[in-house]
Amino acid sequence: MEKLLFPFVSIVGQEDMKRALMLNMVDPGIGGALIKGEKGTAKSTTVRSLAKVLPYRNTVEGCVFNCDPSRPDRLCPYCAEKLARGEQLKSAMVQMRVVELPLSATEDRVAGTLDIEHVLKTGEKKFEPGVLAQANGNLLYVDEVNLLDDHIVDLLLDSAAMGVNYIEREGVSFSHPSRFILVGTMNPEEGELRPQLLDRFGLSVDVKGDKDMEMRMEVVRRRVAFDADPTKYTQECQADTDAMRERITKARELLPKVATDDSIIKAIVTITTSFGIDGHRADITMMKAAKANAALDGRTDVNKDDIRAVAALVLSHRMRRRPFEEAAFDYEELERCLQSI
Amino acid sequence: MPSVDLRSFPFSAVLDMDDAKRAMECMLVNPNLRTVMIRGGQGSAKTVLARSVGLISGKKIINVPVNVSEEQLFGGMDIDATIKQGKAVMQPGLLSRADGNIVYVDDVNLMDQRILMTLLNCVLDGRVVLEREGVSAEYSVDTMLIATMNPNDSDVSSHVLDRFDLCAYSTFPEEEDKRAEILRRNAEFQKDPESFTRLYKDEEDALLNNIERAKKLLPLVTMSDDLMGVSVELAVKVFADGYRGDIAMINTAKALAALNGRDEVMKKDVEEAAMLCLAHRRNYAQEPPPQPPEPPEPDEDDQDEDPPDEDDQDDQQDQDPPEDQEPPEDQDQEDQQESPPDMDFQQLLDDMVFEIGEQFRVVDYLNDGVRKVSKTSAKKGRRMMVESSDSSGRYARSRIPDDKTHDIAFDATIRAAAPYQKGREHTSLTINIQKQDVREKVREMRAGCTILFLVDASGSLGVRKRMTAVKGAVLSMLRDSYVKRDRIGMMAFRRDSAELVLPPTRSVEYSYRKLEEMPTGGKTPLADALVTVNDYMTSYSRSHVGEMCYIVIITDGRANVPLSEGANPNDEVLKLAEDMAIPQVKWIVIDASSGFIRFDNAERLAQALEATYFRLEDLNADRLAESVRAVIQ
Repeated sequence: MEKLLFPFVSIVGQEDMKRALMLNMVDPGIGGALIKGEKGTAKSTTVRSLAKVLPYRNTVEGCVFNCDPSRPDRLCPYCAEKLARGEQLKSAMVQMRVVELPLSATEDRVAGTLDIEHVLKTGEKKFEPGVLAQANGNLLYVDEVNLLDDHIVDLLLDSAAMGVNYIEREGVSFSHPSRFILVGTMNPEEGELRPQLLDRFGLSVDVKGDKDMEMRMEVVRRRVAFDADPTKYTQECQADTDAMRERITKARELLPKVATDDSIIKAIVTITTSFGIDGHRADITMMKAAKANAALDGRTDVNKDDIRAVAALVLSHRMRRRPFEEAAFDYEELERCLQSI
Repeated sequence: MPSVDLRSFPFSAVLDMDDAKRAMECMLVNPNLRTVMIRGGQGSAKTVLARSVGLISGKKIINVPVNVSEEQLFGGMDIDATIKQGKAVMQPGLLSRADGNIVYVDDVNLMDQRILMTLLNCVLDGRVVLEREGVSAEYSVDTMLIATMNPNDSDVSSHVLDRFDLCAYSTFPEEEDKRAEILRRNAEFQKDPESFTRLYKDEEDALLNNIERAKKLLPLVTMSDDLMGVSVELAVKVFADGYRGDIAMINTAKALAALNGRDEVMKKDVEEAAMLCLAHRRNYAQEPPPQPPEPPEPDEDDQDEDPPDEDDQDDQQDQDPPEDQEPPEDQDQEDQQESPPDMDFQQLLDDMVFEIGEQFRVVDYLNDGVRKVSKTSAKKGRRMMVESSDSSGRYARSRIPDDKTHDIAFDATIRAAAPYQKGREHTSLTINIQKQDVREKVREMRAGCTILFLVDASGSLGVRKRMTAVKGAVLSMLRDSYVKRDRIGMMAFRRDSAELVLPPTRSVEYSYRKLEEMPTGGKTPLADALVTVNDYMTSYSRSHVGEMCYIVIITDGRANVPLSEGANPNDEVLKLAEDMAIPQVKWIVIDASSGFIRFDNAERLAQALEATYFRLEDLNADRLAESVRAVIQ
């Protein structure tokens, strides 16, 4: 029996977290999201609840690596071989999934292993796919990402950077596409994240518990109602859930049509320069996020509000900071930058 | 494996421990409450009580040892079946047996934090996701967790603690007659467990029935918006992070109402629930505790967090407010509870915040300050465990070696080879292991550190203030749950020698007593102190390989007792300091000089030792502890 999860659309507040996740669903190229925050603020609940609002996507039927038939340059060896033989790749629409990487995962299960016996017996390559294969085209969720073993983190980083999982062992090499939306949640009290991994996340959010009484009451009331009768509660939210998925799907279709003009590019560069951000990743990510934000609103032109909505998500984990200093995002500075253009 | 006869002591025969009993009953009644922690000192019947839950719930207690490995707990590869079938076959872990039963972890603070976190998440989510050693599986597990621990030992992080829905504190009864009764019951049980258990059968059955009835009643239990509001407000008032406290409290209050046979939550249910759900989630580091009526913080400076201080406060309060404040309000409450306006809500809230604040104080007092959860930012955890490069440390997990390895993880290697056995050529050996199967052990060891305070206890100006600051700092560092993994020691020098007042320890209680007794006054034998600390720490660091040591010297640096007669004591000190080279030791000098004419002796000492340098002047105990901590990290 499938365990019912608290519905995404019923989560109170936490707008930044929801926005960061939705932007990634619209454009997986944004590079995932890191959700930091104090304990018990519905971080994991929110990420898991995405399962119901994730959009449908095209995939090769029966392919364990979830290949995308519309991208012949990103096929797994099996699909590529089929295509080379002149066979048609049968496509199917499936809903994106939330693939979870448990903390206790070992590297053979993350990267996958080559079934050597099968190779020897049949002369055919057979690969026992791991989590990175399941994650292809899906959302990969790591809870307590800061507690993950370093060598597992390395595997994730490699795949996230290349979009391909390379397995090199004992003279046999294999590779398959592994593009995923990486979502991590963590409580910074338990330890910080390695800088390499931190930079890999496109967006980051700091989550706090709401101290506003009304909001808090609502949070608690909904949770209690859900726990009392999950089936009924989920049904009541069904229409909203479907609408949310529809909105994301529409935004994905709209995204290629979203255009930016020079003023937006200038605004982005002004902001990243003024915040003293090194490298171009922030600029590119902010552009993508702003476009996705416009698409979510059903617009094809990016405006300053889009930048306002995404700037903190893009920049807060990229700002240089001195040790022992709590980094707070300077909204006034952002406003100054936007006004200056 | 032969199972030990775990015939348990009857639940109802355990004397007192009402909170802990309540917590467990609530968990049995409300399926949305899944985790309970019982904290308390040794011999306070934590374990006995936890084990006795079996009798009143009809469930089995699955004991999880603290040194359990991930494979054992969550599942791994079944080697026999894997070799026979030629493909990876899963062996279910301990947790799979916990389905429908109760998991019990004793001394949970000693468990590997990552395994503990995963365990808690599995219990709370009701499912186990496994991606290990060729096995990929997901199974659901409907279970509850009872954990016990002794906080004097070391503590779990607040992050872990928050995942416990309920937490109860157990104390050892002081009264003689109670102790005698416990002893009597215990002896009877030892002598003839069967008939002793029979003696309590009726009570046990009644409890079981009551729980069953409450379970049926629970879905019908309602809670007014006011009381729900109070619960939420209370959680905010104690600065609990996140929403787990609020939600647990409401679930607990409902369970309590059901246990009392009511279909409506009452004020006292919420009060009781607050004790069980918020005590361990309090976070006073942000602001002082909720103390509605009065006490303005006594102007500190000198007194920091010495428990006697708290005692005094307690006494005062016990005398003052209850008489003229509480009884009338209480009566008002009963009458007004029905009427909705804001005033009443506020009143109800204030009243309860106060009452619960009082009760918390009692808990704190009984448990010696239990846990002033401090919001330590970042970096926590990471330093605690480090991978060990040689073959010392605990075998934490295995991995594929980069190159050759000398530290083979046999279990993992065999598991890696198992699926291929069918196809491999068989020599005289049963299992054919090939190069690619070899796994190496990843070992971890605790990377605690030792901090030794070297304190100038001579009769120079301001010795009192200095000692207060140091004592406060030592205690605060020891109390801090995370630094508890470190050892803190103290050496004092006065008259003509240095003395090890407190050998590096983790025990708060012990060190507190030692610090109290410390005498002050006399001359400043700084050179002798350096020699003594050098001897001591050299041998200490040899016996604690891999442990970083810090020596914090607190002095004005003005030596006046030379080692060799006639020498200039200050030159002697600097000479000694320059030659000082204790392996794995770093120095921190805190300049305690004050007054009109400032001497730079301490500064020069710091330079000679290549130490980090601070001024004591405006540091109080907390700041001192903080500064030292900052240097260490």
